[in-house]
Amino acid sequence: MLELKHELKLNKKRDEKARMNFVSGLRAHVLNDMAAGMRDIYSADVEPEFRRRNRRAPKNGPEVHKAIKTNEYFKFYSSLRVTAQDMVWQSVFPPLERSRPALKQTAARLAGKKPRGTLSLQKNFEVPRYVSAIDVHLMAGNYDGEYETDDLAAGSLYDNGLAVFSFGLMGQNLDDIGQSIAGFIKRKFSDLRPKKILDLGCTIGHNTGSWKDTYPEAEVHGIDVAAPCLRYAHARAQAQNREVHFHQMNAESLDFPDNSFDVVFSSMFLHEVPKKGIEKIMKEAHRVLKPGGLMLHMELPPNDQLSPYDAFYLDWDSAYNNEPFYKPFRDLNPQEVCKKAGFSTKKYVQFVIPSVGWYGADVRDAAADQQQSVDNDKTGRLTDGVLWYCFGAFK
Amino acid sequence: MSAARRKSAGGTRRVAKSRATKGRVTKTRAVKKSAAVKTEESSRQAMRRTIRGGRSYFFDDPAIDKVLNMVVVLGSEVWTLRERLAAMEAIQIKRRQLKSGEIDQFEFSAEDEARLASERKEFIDSLFRILQEQVAESRRA
Repeated sequence: MLELKHELKLNKKRDEKARMNFVSGLRAHVLNDMAAGMRDIYSADVEPEFRRRNRRAPKNGPEVHKAIKTNEYFKFYSSLRVTAQDMVWQSVFPPLERSRPALKQTAARLAGKKPRGTLSLQKNFEVPRYVSAIDVHLMAGNYDGEYETDDLAAGSLYDNGLAVFSFGLMGQNLDDIGQSIAGFIKRKFSDLRPKKILDLGCTIGHNTGSWKDTYPEAEVHGIDVAAPCLRYAHARAQAQNREVHFHQMNAESLDFPDNSFDVVFSSMFLHEVPKKGIEKIMKEAHRVLKPGGLMLHMELPPNDQLSPYDAFYLDWDSAYNNEPFYKPFRDLNPQEVCKKAGFSTKKYVQFVIPSVGWYGADVRDAAADQQQSVDNDKTGRLTDGVLWYCFGAFK
Repeated sequence: MSAARRKSAGGTRRVAKSRATKGRVTKTRAVKKSAAVKTEESSRQAMRRTIRGGRSYFFDDPAIDKVLNMVVVLGSEVWTLRERLAAMEAIQIKRRQLKSGEIDQFEFSAEDEARLASERKEFIDSLFRILQEQVAESRRA
């Protein structure tokens, strides 16, 4: 299990650490070893059987899913993965519950520290139902659950849960996505010198801060609908000496003026939003971007660019991990989505970016100088050697 | 039901359903947060630990998923004990009460060995008692 390095990290007892270590190890086993085993079983048994019956190979992810779901190995893989996912959060609750009063005190102290980022919350803010009504990825309470005034426990649950969940693949500060992508963009587009950067659906700001690290002169903003995550994000950024401004806003309707940002970014966000919301978010991104500015979304790769097996593999979450919008998002064509929001097709971009934590900065920077294929069993998948997928457009 | 997508038969805390079948998303019913925000500090409520929408089951009998979950949780506790024992050993070595590798080389006395053998048999008998109950019933009949 990854140990968080900042002041808000939970004080865990020996046994609590051991349980977290176990869950991280279990997830690594399921997502690396068992995933490789399932792929082999598919190639050796499931696909040949499908071909015998249908005189052709499966055409898409749903056909692979239908063919494999009666397979015993798939059942063990899936049942263990659900168990591990639940255990991630369950391993955090006991130390978190004990630490809640101390966590609030630490956050209050950090708020007064320099450099001063800011936090703006809204009274009577309406959290959209796609956040308020489900426990996404089996996380009880979701991002917005509040259990006392000025609560930030949900942010701590997410931060500490991700540390268990990611088994090191999201970086030592859980910001591998931000560090990999911001560094890649700086290398690839050296003329882009952003003055204002916006991170949509930033949750605890773990990837927002990377933009401040990469472009220290820029004014960096993060928005989200969940107040407890934003309170935590503010305290976390303060603890890490990053001047970031967090606001409670819905990305579907931003309170920023037209043409005000040079970069509009999001990570692991759109797949948790229904299609209608995605359309509005894209239009808003287009509106707040300055001409020549870059919109970039780090996401799961689209189904139409993956093999049927890899499409099935990623869509597992949609069916079994309380991610109802995950597959509908992945069924969209990203270029069409950008075009519909007013971006020129000629200015569409997409990248496959090697994780800087796994491969190092040299490999990531070398990748900035060439275009890579999306169809790879490491693209967008939390596994050893992960490659991050992102798409977007210049305005 | 043949394979997957079997939801919980319904715990009392289960208050919402979210389903995605064949790529089509059904509507998610809005739910009140189980813990409302209170204004008083003293009204801090425990965080909810149950998942709205339940969980998926994969085996033809969901009892298998549940037993598998129990085995994994038990595995987690076994691992936790091992880490704790390792910590105790490390502390004792640090305090020079134990030499590195001493436990691995340790031999019980004949008396201790006999007592442990007897306790081991009791442990194994108790583990498989449920099977022996069936045997005893057949014998009675």
